[in-house]
Amino acid sequence: MKARKRERRRSAKPGGESYVFRLFVAGNESNSSQARGNLARLCEEHIKGRYKIDTVDVLKDAAAAHKNNVLVTPTLILIRPLPKVTVLGNLNDTRQVLAALRLNGDEG
Amino acid sequence: MNNQKPPYGELETKMKEAEELIHALRTQQVDAIVGERHVMLVRLKQAEESLKSSRNQLRALATYLLSVRESERTVIARELHDEFGQALTSLQLGLSWISRKLTPEQRPLQEKIRSLSATTTSLIRSVKNIASELRPGVLDELGLVKTLKSEAREFQGHTGVQCRFKTNTAKAKFDHSAAVAIFRIVQAGLTNVARHARASRALITLMKKKNGLILTVMDNGKGITRKLVYSRDSLGITGMRERALALGGTFTLGGSRSKGTMLTVRIPLSRIIVGTAFSSPRATLSSPDSR
Repeated sequence: MKARKRERRRSAKPGGESYVFRLFVAGNESNSSQARGNLARLCEEHIKGRYKIDTVDVLKDAAAAHKNNVLVTPTLILIRPLPKVTVLGNLNDTRQVLAALRLNGDEG
Repeated sequence: MNNQKPPYGELETKMKEAEELIHALRTQQVDAIVGERHVMLVRLKQAEESLKSSRNQLRALATYLLSVRESERTVIARELHDEFGQALTSLQLGLSWISRKLTPEQRPLQEKIRSLSATTTSLIRSVKNIASELRPGVLDELGLVKTLKSEAREFQGHTGVQCRFKTNTAKAKFDHSAAVAIFRIVQAGLTNVARHARASRALITLMKKKNGLILTVMDNGKGITRKLVYSRDSLGITGMRERALALGGTFTLGGSRSKGTMLTVRIPLSRIIVGTAFSSPRATLSSPDSR
């Protein structure tokens, strides 16, 4: 029974709510590249087809970072669904990132 | 009252954000700090990795140079002993042959031959000493422990500083390059005692403990300053430290005016012991006085 429940949850919500992220990076610096890759992987694994990532390179657009109160890169902001969430760092800790983004129970 | 929002709610959020920021910085997950007008790149991780890599390269180079120096010393010592030593011995034999052929009337010549023979003997002794300093033959023939005993005895003979050697590793078989390194550390340590310590007593210990081999060289002299221990000019100390690190060990040197100086090298047993035959745990004490 338990296995069936888990299976049902995993395959659920093909048309669930969509996610909008804004990821602030610094060019191709090590942590920024890792954050880019990690976010893309997490989105593909958990909310495939229901996400949009807006990447902002602070080396090209520092004003946008300042406007969003971003102090360091990489910084990920979950814009939608509300409430907004900010996650700092290279997003290597999958478990913590999923929990922070409220994706730990949401499988695509 | 209970339904009221906590007055410090906003402050708590800010604190949490600050903590996250500190965590990100501490775990080196930040690669740029964004200011109002400028973006400052932070490359701590890369800088640290590059520093680590440079340090490893330098250490590898130092180890290589030490091994090259040892091999060169071996070659020079062998050449000196075999070639030069043999030639001088032949010369001495030749001189003594000539001396035997001379008649009593050729006294000035005999005097000259005797003088040349004395010079040759002295040269042979010098060559032996130089070869032995370059590469102590006893280390190859008798092993580390006996070499250290002999070193302590010679040190006392040369300097007048009472020197003892204590060990519980009398039957241990040491890796050859490790034995050379330990011997060189002791040599350098004793040179420092003779040159700087103004000591009347010195003690060398080489003890096998559970977690490794511990070598100490201590004296009752005037001690050493921290500044001197880490000075770039203290080449002898740097050499000893590099030798210890090359064996995967640690090197510490310290002291005070009242306690003298103590040099300690700790080396993992796996890096130095070839055979497992150890003497009883009780240390044997060797003193040149008792010989």
